[in-house]
Amino acid sequence: MPADATLPLTGRALGEVIFRRGATPVTAARFLAEVAALAARLPDEGPVLNFCADRYLALVGFAAALSRGQVTLLSADRSAPRLADIARLHGARYALSDTDAALPLPVLRPAVEPAGDGANPAIPAAAIAAIAFTSGSTGEPRPHAKPWGALVAGARAAAERFAVAPGTSIVGTIPAQHMYGFETTLMLPLVAAGAAHAGPVFYPSDIQEALAALPAPRLLVTTPLQLRALLGAGVPLPPLAGIVSATAPLAESLAAAAEETFGAPVLEIYGATEAGSVASRRTLDGEAWDPYPGMRFTIAEAGAEVAVPGLALPVPLADTLEWCGEGRFRLLGRRGDMVKLAGKRASLAGLTRILTTIEGVEDGLFLAPDDIDRNPRARLAAAVVAPGRSAEEIVATLRDKVEPAFLPRPVVLLDALPRDALGKVNRARIVELAWRRREPATDALHIGDAEP
Amino acid sequence: MSTTLSLEAELARLIVEALHLEAAPEDIDPEAPLFGEGLGLDSIDALEIALAVSKRYGFQLRSDDERNHRIFASLRALAAHIEKQRTA
Repeated sequence: MPADATLPLTGRALGEVIFRRGATPVTAARFLAEVAALAARLPDEGPVLNFCADRYLALVGFAAALSRGQVTLLSADRSAPRLADIARLHGARYALSDTDAALPLPVLRPAVEPAGDGANPAIPAAAIAAIAFTSGSTGEPRPHAKPWGALVAGARAAAERFAVAPGTSIVGTIPAQHMYGFETTLMLPLVAAGAAHAGPVFYPSDIQEALAALPAPRLLVTTPLQLRALLGAGVPLPPLAGIVSATAPLAESLAAAAEETFGAPVLEIYGATEAGSVASRRTLDGEAWDPYPGMRFTIAEAGAEVAVPGLALPVPLADTLEWCGEGRFRLLGRRGDMVKLAGKRASLAGLTRILTTIEGVEDGLFLAPDDIDRNPRARLAAAVVAPGRSAEEIVATLRDKVEPAFLPRPVVLLDALPRDALGKVNRARIVELAWRRREPATDALHIGDAEP
Repeated sequence: MSTTLSLEAELARLIVEALHLEAAPEDIDPEAPLFGEGLGLDSIDALEIALAVSKRYGFQLRSDDERNHRIFASLRALAAHIEKQRTA
């Protein structure tokens, strides 16, 4: 693509429905009019921190900012300290939100109203449209810039891979500001196909109501955790065209139960905040992942990386990959000490560093249970040497520095970390102390996601 | 009020068991926030509580934006919501 190439804000025909706000269908034409109206009211300078819970408002806000040449900061974590951190570190000039928030910058509510016609602006492919964040090893948000061209290429690739028909209703359960949710429920309908459901959807009954209110074909975009809850709650769903899962590996038993119960193929996306979605598979077809069109994977001794269309540099991956024929790969596990919980990644060494810098903590260690890759409910543990401090105090201090998903459960207080004769920490001993009371796989659901 | 008190105790036990919490059920402050401060639960826990509640009490929790924040505000608020649903 030439350096000065542009791509239109929406790739949809003006009459196509791209979103559904409750019972109200929103066409591309109406969307463009609302984007133009909001863009005219935005402050002159970005970046803008957009944490709207309503997906449609999130999309209109993003598109309006983009049409004004402003970068959108995407934070999947809506906690006030995290938002304030991102705003401060990345120079946000204002925020767009549909909920009240106490932040040290102006927070605007993106009211949308149809007002005349809106053009379909041409956006430079190289323009940074959004910045997504992961947690750095010391807890600070680490930015990942998303050029408009990369976002568009990703959305087109997803539409092709999942053969999304233009009229497909998309119900997503992941926040619009999480890279996976942003790609599947904002970028996909904006650029390529489908009409996304705007409302908040989280619990099994929300998913049921949202799907029931929308026309077929219906695509459910969710996570292993929510799929498990959906099956456990036993709520009936209308016919589905497909179920897409990401953020964590999906157990084959869970995929099989979902396919049988809901009568639709269960497809998984492999991706990362830095790269976006890069490969997919149907879980029941086996362990091989099919790269998205245009992705180029390199697998070497030092690790795997993927070259993503539109991104200047290849993205190193947190997993160990192995080719398994026909251009496909399998995942052999996480590299180093990276762990992933609730769709967020962290390094155990980084968490340990944060833990051991807490006042009164003399020594400490974060560790993951052995079933962390299979059990969507897995939690980390921490062994801590902190004379005179309670587990509650330590967790309370960590809460300001660590995302909730990574807070240790349990905290094991010790007089000293168990070490072997060479001074190396005896991890097995700590695992025993941390999880000895846990009964293995006493999962009320018996769908096997916690079983080896 | 005795119904509510015993429901609170029952719910505290249900939460501690479902979430594998370190705390003893009787140590949970019924007025303390369940999420963030207080017990420090997160969205994984919210799904887990919703699932446990649907199995024990036979109704589904929902994301009714504003209302949901109130329901999950504390053990007492959640117990009151369940009480209302049970007698509804």
